[in-house]
Amino acid sequence: VSAPGPHVLVVDDEPQIVRGLRVVLRNAGYSVEEAGTVREALDALAVRPPDVLVLDLVLPDGSGVDVMRDLRSWSALPVLVLSAVGDEREKVRALDAGADDYVTKPFGADELTARLRALLRRVADGAGAEPLVEAGDVVIDLATRRVTRGGRQVHLTPIEFDLLRVLATHRGKLVTHRQLLRDVWGPAYEDATHYLRVHVAHIRAKLEDDPSAPRLILTEPGVGYRMASPA
Amino acid sequence: MPIKGRRIFCTLVAARGVAFDAGMSYRVARSALEVIVGVALGIGVVAALDVVAPIQGLSVVPLLVVLGLAIRRGRAAAAAAAVLSVLALNFFFIAPRYQLTIADGQNVAALVVFLIAALVVGHVADVSRTRAREAHERADEAAARTREAQMLAAVAGRLLVGGSLAVERRWIEAEVARALAVDAVRIDLAPAPSPRAPESAVRLPLQHGAGWLYVTGPADAERIAEPLARLMDLAVERERIGAQAAEAESARRADVAKTAVLHAISHDLRTPLTAITTAGDALAQPGTSDADRAELVSVVREESHRLARMVSDLLDLSRIEAGAVEPRRDWIDLRDVVARAIAGVRAMHPDAVIAFELPEDLPLVRADAAQLERVFANLLENAVKFSAPGAAVQVRGAASSGRVTVRVVDHGPGIPPGQRAKVFEPFVRLGERRGGAGLGLAISRGFVEANGGRIALQSGPEGGAAFAVSLPLAPSPAPVS
Repeated sequence: VSAPGPHVLVVDDEPQIVRGLRVVLRNAGYSVEEAGTVREALDALAVRPPDVLVLDLVLPDGSGVDVMRDLRSWSALPVLVLSAVGDEREKVRALDAGADDYVTKPFGADELTARLRALLRRVADGAGAEPLVEAGDVVIDLATRRVTRGGRQVHLTPIEFDLLRVLATHRGKLVTHRQLLRDVWGPAYEDATHYLRVHVAHIRAKLEDDPSAPRLILTEPGVGYRMASPA
Repeated sequence: MPIKGRRIFCTLVAARGVAFDAGMSYRVARSALEVIVGVALGIGVVAALDVVAPIQGLSVVPLLVVLGLAIRRGRAAAAAAAVLSVLALNFFFIAPRYQLTIADGQNVAALVVFLIAALVVGHVADVSRTRAREAHERADEAAARTREAQMLAAVAGRLLVGGSLAVERRWIEAEVARALAVDAVRIDLAPAPSPRAPESAVRLPLQHGAGWLYVTGPADAERIAEPLARLMDLAVERERIGAQAAEAESARRADVAKTAVLHAISHDLRTPLTAITTAGDALAQPGTSDADRAELVSVVREESHRLARMVSDLLDLSRIEAGAVEPRRDWIDLRDVVARAIAGVRAMHPDAVIAFELPEDLPLVRADAAQLERVFANLLENAVKFSAPGAAVQVRGAASSGRVTVRVVDHGPGIPPGQRAKVFEPFVRLGERRGGAGLGLAISRGFVEANGGRIALQSGPEGGAAFAVSLPLAPSPAPVS
C-alpha cells in the first residue's frame, strides 16, 4: 500500500484479528506492515522502522516483552500493546520495559486509532521539551517549578512537583507505578506504591475541581497513571 | 521332731488347701513322690551296706538324699525327707528293729545329730537354690525388658518414618506378641473391650479415643501399654497433619488449575471476539472497499463459528466433568461413524488427505454414534492440523482380545513421550496455540470413557502420533436373517 500516511507495524499471530486490523488501520490512513512472531517483528523493525508499533503480548515464539526490551535498546518509537484479561503481568512488564500505552482485547477500532493518534502526536510535539505545560486552568512551568491554577499559584511539595513533572513530560502516555517511583524516589522504592496513592491524592486535592472524578491525573488501575492528553 | 512333723503336715494341708491350683497340687504331689522314692532309695542303699558297715557311718547316705531333694524340690521336701529318713533308720536299723522305739541312748543322740545335720544341709541347699532361681528370674526379667524396649524402638521406627497405623497394625501386633513371648496379640481401636475366649484385655491409654490390647497367653502387658499408646498417638497425629497437608496441597492445585482454566477461557474466547469486533468496526467504516468488506464478512462468519464451537465444547466438557453425559447406546458400525466424521472434516479442510483403511469385517459395538462421531472428528481434525500439507492421515482398525480398536495415525511431528499423558487434559495445547481451546482431546476422552472405551496416544509407525480408541466387544446381536 503506497498510502502517504504514517507507517505502522502490527505484530500479532492471530491472522483473523490482523485481517480486521489491517482494514481499520488503512481506513485511518496508515500504511500497514505485519509480523506474526518475535523473530519476524525484530526483523521488520530493523529493516524498516515504523512510525508506530502495535504489539500483541502472546506470540508463538516468545513474549511481546522480548520485542520491547530489544527495541528500547536502540529506538524510542511509540509502542501500543494489545493485551487480554489474564495478561496483566505481561502487560505491566511491557510497559515497564518502555511500551507507551495499551488497549485490552477486544478493543474498539475507534479506541485503537485514537490511542495511536495520541502517541504519534506526542512524538510530533516533541513531548517533554516544552517548559510550559497547560492543562485546562492548570499551568505547570517545568523550568521554574511553579504551578498555577486559574492564575493563582498553587503550593506543591518538592515530591508532589516531581511526580507532576514526570507525568507532564510524558503527557498522554501511561506511566507505570514502577517508573514513577523510580524517577521520583529512586530505584529502591519501586514497590512502594502506597507512596503514590498518598501523593497523587494530595496533588488532586490541590489541582482537580473534583478530586473524586479526576480529569487531569487519570488512574489506570493496577498499572499506573497518565496526565490527560491535550483536548 | 514332732514340731517339724507338724510343719510338714501344715505345709501339706496348706498345699491341699490351694489344690484348686492345678500346677500347685501337681508340684506338691511330685515333691511327695520324689521324697518317698528318694528316701526309699537311700534306705535301700543303707540296707545293702548294713552288713559291711556300722549304721552310724551309713547315715551319710540319707543325708545325700536330703541334699539332692533340697536342691531339686526345696526346703519343705528336704525337711520331709530328713524326718522320714530318721524314722526309717530308726525303724529298720536301730535296735529294737522294726519298732519306732530306741533302746540305746547313744542311738537317740546319733539320730538327733543326723536330723539336725539333714535340716541344716536342706536349708543351705535350699537357700542357694532360691538364689539361683532368683538370679535366673532376674535374667529372664531383664531379657523381657530388653525385648520390650527393642519392640518399642522398632515400632517407633516404623511409625515415625511414615508408616500408618492401619497398614502397620498387623506387624505391630506380631512384634508385641514376640516381645511379650505370648502366642498372639490383637490391637483394637474401640471404646469398649471385646476380648475373645482366651484373651486378656489391657487398656491402651490413647489421647484421642480408646484402644485395647488383647493378649493370648500369660504376660504383663500393662507395662508396655503406656509407651505403645504414646507411639500410636504420635502416628495418629502425624497422619492427621499429613492429611491436612495433602488437603491443602490438593486445594492449591485445584486453585492453580482453576486459574489456568480461567486464563485459557479468557484468552481463547477473546481471540475470536476481538477478530469479530475489529472486523465489525471496520465494516461499519464508510471508507472500507468492497473487497475488504467481503473478507471482513468471512472473518466475522468464521470466527463466530469458532466461538460457537468453543462455547459448545466448554459446555460438553463441563457436562463430562459433571458426569452428566449419558450415551444413547445402540449397535453401531464404526465404519459408518468414521466415514461421517471424515466427511465433516473434509468439508472444513478440503485439501486434507484421509485414508479410510477400516476392514469390512470390523465387528459392531454398542455405543452412542453421535458421541463417537465427535470423538473421531476431533481426532481427525487434530491429525490433519499437525500433518504437512498433502501428507495422508490414516484410519486403521482391528478387533482383538475382546476389543475393537480404531487408530487415527498421522505423519506429523508426533508428541514427545513426556507430554503424552498431558494431552488429554483440558486446555493443554499441542504445539502452536492456533485454533480451539485445547478441549478437543479432553472431550474425546470423556465421550470414549462414557461409552465404556479407552483412548490412548501411541507413537505412529513413522514418528507421527497415533490415537487409539478401543471399545469392548459386546455379545453379537442375533444374526440378521
